[in-house]
Amino acid sequence: MIWRDSVFAFALLGMYSGAFAHTPICDCYDNGDDTITCEGGFSDGASAAGIAMRVFDSSGRILLEGEMSDRSDFTFDKPDGNFRVEFEGGDGHLIQIDGRDIEE
Amino acid sequence: MKNRAPWHAPGPNRRIAVLAALLWLGGAAPAAAHFQLLYTPEAALPQSQALPLALVFSHPFNNGYTMSMGEPEAFYVVSQRGAEAVRETTDLMEYLEPVMWSGVDTSAEAFVANPPRRVTRSLGDYTFVLTPAPYYEEQEDKYIQQITKTVVNVGGLPGAWDEPLGLPVEIVPLDKPYANWVGGVFRAVVLAGGEPVPHAEIEIEYLNHEPQIDQRRFDPEARVTPPQSSFITLSIRANALGEVTIGLPKAGWWGICALDLDDGLMHNDRDLSLDAVLWVKAADMTR
Repeated sequence: MIWRDSVFAFALLGMYSGAFAHTPICDCYDNGDDTITCEGGFSDGASAAGIAMRVFDSSGRILLEGEMSDRSDFTFDKPDGNFRVEFEGGDGHLIQIDGRDIEE
Repeated sequence: MKNRAPWHAPGPNRRIAVLAALLWLGGAAPAAAHFQLLYTPEAALPQSQALPLALVFSHPFNNGYTMSMGEPEAFYVVSQRGAEAVRETTDLMEYLEPVMWSGVDTSAEAFVANPPRRVTRSLGDYTFVLTPAPYYEEQEDKYIQQITKTVVNVGGLPGAWDEPLGLPVEIVPLDKPYANWVGGVFRAVVLAGGEPVPHAEIEIEYLNHEPQIDQRRFDPEARVTPPQSSFITLSIRANALGEVTIGLPKAGWWGICALDLDDGLMHNDRDLSLDAVLWVKAADMTR
């Protein structure tokens, strides 16, 4: 596999009430070519394939929507300006990653 | 490799090792086991980072002396991002750097490696595997080769930590080697040729002198002092299913070694003891 230098941004869901058997996990990194890749999964090793992904601008407007691939990743063009990424794990399993934490 | 003691060291370091050991334990005769270290500081990484590695053949508890390693036969990492993901293997031989590594009393040839962060870029499990060159143990007039695994996780997404890698001999975890609280237990299965080894002979040692990779040495300061030599190398047996359970009473790295798992292997016309080593890390429960 060919990897690109990137800087890691990582988030765990820990802010929601309730007991979750499996913790959702998602992180994103900057590929250095104006694209961002996010990876996801669950703490039991379950795949995140099909999990909804959304990218918002700083005003909360949806810039793009998609879903995790069969490889549990999601690559998109890096937006201009500030943005945030949301990983929608269902049942309140929402992870938000600020674009400013996704470093090259 | 049963209860090899520091005075087994060949050459002039032998007397020094004996003297140091005797002084240290107030006259008792300690027994320490050879362990192949495949060390990196942290086993459970919150996020990806480049991992420094140290490959040292030593006595992890009393650090009496360090033994010279030859060029490893294989050094690679098997990664898997999620339980259902494809397993990937990355060869790491190109990152090996020969160094002189200092123990408390001796120094010997060892290796360090600094693979770039892209090697451990993704979430998931990374099982580092080392097949060192056979080591000639003069005292026993035989060779020792310890196939060693160290499992690191990035981000909390598990992968193939519980899967055999198809090695000739290996210790397969039943608990995550990187997620253990102090006071808990760790379980594993000893395999040879893919089959469990009933009643396998097991040695366990605590990594009592933290490796300081930048300085190419072990910390001269020991973390704990054993009450008696039996506590240096803990010798147990696997059960009838080849399963091993150990306690983890102290934070840090614990080495598990299953001894002499081969069936009459020879190297340079001498017996070869093919061992399997697995490193396990325990963490304190703190705020």
